[in-house]
Amino acid sequence: MASSSVKVAVRVRPFNSRETNRGAKCVIQMQDKSTCIINPKQPKDAPKNFTFDYSYWSHSSEEDPSFASQGKVYQDIGEEMLLHAFEGYNVCIFAYGQTGAGKSYTMMGKQDPGQQGIIPQMCEDLFRQTAENTDPDLSFSVEVSYMEIYCERVRDLLNPKSRGSLRVREHPIMGPYVEDLSKMAVTNYSDIADLMDTGNKARTVAATNMNETSSRSHAVFTILFTQRRHDHMTSLDTEKVSKISLVDLAGSERADSSGARGMRLKEGANINKSLTTLGKVISALADMQGTKKRRSDFIPYRDSVLTWLLRENLGGNSRTAMIAALSPADINYEETLSTLRYADRAKQIKCNAVINEDPNARLVRELKEEVNRLKELLLSQGLSNLITASGEHPHVFTPVINTRLRRSQCTETEKIIAELNETWEEKLRKTDSIRQEREALLAEMGVSVKEDGGTVGVFSPKRTPHLVNLNEDPLMSECLIYYIKDGVTRVGQEDVDIRLSGQFIKELHCVFCSEVSENNEGESDHVTFLTFTVSHKCKRYVTKDFCAFE
Amino acid sequence: MAAHQSSEWRTVCEKFRLAQDLSEVESRKDPENNPFRSKYKARDLLKEIHCSLKKIQIEEEGEADSESRQMVDEGAGNECGKSCSGDSPAGLGAARLAVLQYYLGVNHIETEELSAGEQHLMNCLKLIDKCTTTRENVSLFIQARNQLGILWAGRDEIEKAQGFLEIAESMYLLYMREDGQPPLDLQDFFVLEGEELSQQEKTRSRFEMAYTHTLYYLAQVYKNLEQYERAGQYCHSTLQRQLEYKQFVPLEWAINAATLSQYYITKTRYMEARHCLAAASVIATLAGEIPSEAAAKESDAECEKREELLQKRSEIARCWIKYCLNLMQDAKKLLEDNIGELDLDRQEELKRARRNVEEEKEKGRKSAILFGSSDTFDSICSLEEKVSSMLPLDFEEARSIFLVGQSYVAQAKEYFAMDGHVTDHIEILQDHSALFKVLAFFEQDLERRCKMHKRRVDMLEPVCKDLNAQYYLLICRQLQFELAETYYEMMDLKLAVADKQDQPDVHTIKKFNNLCSSSMKYYQMFLDSIRSPEGKFPEKLEDDLLRPALVAKFRVARLQSKLISSNLATQLENLTHSLESYNFVVQYCEENPEAKNAVETELELSSEMVSLLPLKINRIRSKIASCN
Repeated sequence: MASSSVKVAVRVRPFNSRETNRGAKCVIQMQDKSTCIINPKQPKDAPKNFTFDYSYWSHSSEEDPSFASQGKVYQDIGEEMLLHAFEGYNVCIFAYGQTGAGKSYTMMGKQDPGQQGIIPQMCEDLFRQTAENTDPDLSFSVEVSYMEIYCERVRDLLNPKSRGSLRVREHPIMGPYVEDLSKMAVTNYSDIADLMDTGNKARTVAATNMNETSSRSHAVFTILFTQRRHDHMTSLDTEKVSKISLVDLAGSERADSSGARGMRLKEGANINKSLTTLGKVISALADMQGTKKRRSDFIPYRDSVLTWLLRENLGGNSRTAMIAALSPADINYEETLSTLRYADRAKQIKCNAVINEDPNARLVRELKEEVNRLKELLLSQGLSNLITASGEHPHVFTPVINTRLRRSQCTETEKIIAELNETWEEKLRKTDSIRQEREALLAEMGVSVKEDGGTVGVFSPKRTPHLVNLNEDPLMSECLIYYIKDGVTRVGQEDVDIRLSGQFIKELHCVFCSEVSENNEGESDHVTFLTFTVSHKCKRYVTKDFCAFE
Repeated sequence: MAAHQSSEWRTVCEKFRLAQDLSEVESRKDPENNPFRSKYKARDLLKEIHCSLKKIQIEEEGEADSESRQMVDEGAGNECGKSCSGDSPAGLGAARLAVLQYYLGVNHIETEELSAGEQHLMNCLKLIDKCTTTRENVSLFIQARNQLGILWAGRDEIEKAQGFLEIAESMYLLYMREDGQPPLDLQDFFVLEGEELSQQEKTRSRFEMAYTHTLYYLAQVYKNLEQYERAGQYCHSTLQRQLEYKQFVPLEWAINAATLSQYYITKTRYMEARHCLAAASVIATLAGEIPSEAAAKESDAECEKREELLQKRSEIARCWIKYCLNLMQDAKKLLEDNIGELDLDRQEELKRARRNVEEEKEKGRKSAILFGSSDTFDSICSLEEKVSSMLPLDFEEARSIFLVGQSYVAQAKEYFAMDGHVTDHIEILQDHSALFKVLAFFEQDLERRCKMHKRRVDMLEPVCKDLNAQYYLLICRQLQFELAETYYEMMDLKLAVADKQDQPDVHTIKKFNNLCSSSMKYYQMFLDSIRSPEGKFPEKLEDDLLRPALVAKFRVARLQSKLISSNLATQLENLTHSLESYNFVVQYCEENPEAKNAVETELELSSEMVSLLPLKINRIRSKIASCN
């Protein structure tokens, strides 16, 4: 599946009793994936439409065929996320929306059957699936942690002794983590439920102490799911760890005051009153300029702790879902609209880590030259039809007659181009062919060259009769080897097999006769007899010595 | 003003003070379910004062000239002129009422009754608009307009907001030019005679602060109007004034100035950027000494302070790195020819042009942006002198900027260590690598240039190996891509060096092949990172990966055909791989036509190669055949 960024769902709840009593009107309509909202103050205005991955109509009751139950929401979002967790991905589910819009119901739900939210259902599912495992080499472990982020401070909700704010850090292998955050090992869902309950209590207590409601803080429940596989061959354990983060975002109406900067995509032309926000304005200004091209600046405003902790969830190697809870009531119109807008933008959330590539200019030029070279090659081989047939290169649509003409022009050009753009390979090839030519030349002269290009020193072919030169200068002695072929080898100045030049060399100086005779065992090559003939009456042998071989 | 001594006046003053207290202090303790309790109480008090004031005024007016009463009460002024002087008793009376209207306006706005708030503010303006601007009402004039600016901006009527704020701005400038006396503070309208007025210095400071806010609001208005240049300018002025009137928190100010430098960098205004950075560095030191490690262990407060100071200073250092980097990169853009090499003619031309730059003009521009607080001015200037703000045009100039950048890299890495700050640390390394890369552009000696790229490899390679892609996928990809490109660059350089030799020796060829392979390895790692856990390459690439992935394939294709071998079979194999990779690009674009635009040139060349490479391959085949 495509590793798309964020799956976005919205869900609208029924009226609560207060709203019913007040005779509230429902401003939300849904059809398939789309949600529209009507402005109760301007009912004549066109309703605003939004499309999401899922639009859940939970405003009515079970009897309504279009009603989206807790089970349905879990099936769509929870199951897929759990599957990804088993695959080893990090997954994350955000719940967002105004306080009282039904975030907690969607995430946690109630104890009654069929009323459980995503978190309990997912945990149960997780343990059910691990319990079904029959593979003895595969084992699982689950750890959980629960923290709260309030005013950029992180608090451990599971450790009553933890005080003050915990530090967020990063590890190259373990990723972003909260220092000293307690991790509790759990073996079944009731463990998790207990811990969650404890955490929620801690959260409420703290909120009361600070004279705040929990709606101003974010809560992050993390399940660390490890799959361990034992390999008998190597007797090694391999681990696949995935992090499941379930995030209850601060009530959207409070998001700004609770420091959810970065998570909140507020629009409009509002002016910040206090100069303490100057930094925000300046960084937005710098940011705006920067995003047009690739990122070339550094904006020293730290992301909010939450975005920081979850940044890989927003477009990285993980699967993320966001559920926005909507209130149906007309009185909440503004807030609901802003929640919808937020959800709409969440679809496009991307991490700004882009890949900057070097310009290709040089490579392109190089390659174009090669393409031309190859084309010229084709032309010179008279295979132009091959190109013209492809129809892509109108400039080679030349009549055949002209091609011939062109060819002669081309070969010149080709040579120049080829020289200019000689690749290494060609150089190598050229070097090689020059060597071969040299060898051929020497061979023509009857001189044999050792494979590496002629090292100085005695080099005696074992089985072929041959002549070597001798010289007073030891360095020049035995540099040349003359082979004596089977049959007649003529030595002289012209029209001969071994060409020697010199004052005393006759036109046909001498002839070697080499015969191969078979030995007793019938092997063909081992014994060679040489007959030496001197034509004319030459008194001195130029070749002062000869070797006869075994 | 005999009435001021009356008990009635005393009550008014007390009520006013109480209202202030309720609104500013008490309101913070209001419960969530009744968040405006104190504000409402304050409002009631203000209303009572307003009534009393009216009463007192009528009594006074009984004694005073009836003409002025008429003017104040009925506003029967002549339209084009002001009906009374701001410092006349009538003007003062009007201003006093206006102050109440102002506070009532603010109160209503704070309690989310915007229309009522607007009404009160407009009343306030109406009252003082009848009078000439004097020290009595100038502060009120500006503050009321500030409030209206905020109000209208909140209603998405930015132009209206702009109107109010711009008038406030010009009013300040006019007043300072023509009068300039310390203005009367809003609080001082309600004090008993004999009671101490606010100290002049304080009044002045509050007045200046109101104007600083005007500028700050204008900055935001211009930003919303997408007039970014002006917005930047007004942010700058805001910072200047904060410094001038000593109304700043050092660390916060320093970070703001450093951030503003980044805005200037994107606008290629390096002189301004440098000034901001130098000021940021200097002002940051005003935040105090960094507590020692030992002290930090002793107390949590010290620990937090140490952490904060170190972090902010490192962040400023990172802004400096970006400054150096962008300065060099922009110079490169100007100096490079169409294949990214130094264009010597261009260099000559720019050098000549630079000599002709009118320095005077620069100075004029400079004086407008100075952060002029006398005690820090010299340190800011001396810090500025350490690095040029001109685009470097040759290696020496580039090198001196590089060295400054590198020293900030070292400084930033101290706090942003790998241990605990993985992402930040790597971002700094990437900048360091980019500094080397752009320096290499200015280096003419190919061997030395190659060594600079080697440094990049040395700093990035170990990090890339150690990083867990499950958490740092995007960074991993960036590193893989950069390493692949760096090796590619080195390969190109080796080739260029060897081209100058007559004959490639075995050693050089081996090295060359190694560089090719390393580059391919990292491109391949990058491409593999796109695969699913089952190892499947996606049928459709995501937008932000589309081009990088296809370019990677394209480059791999090229590299495969570049490998040098004298062995025909190996050559054949390499070329076949190359053909496959070119084919991948072509086929992907056939199946996903929308990809064509992203890789136009690459696709065109790939198609050509796909049709031509078989020829080359066949030649090798036939050679092999003939050899056997």
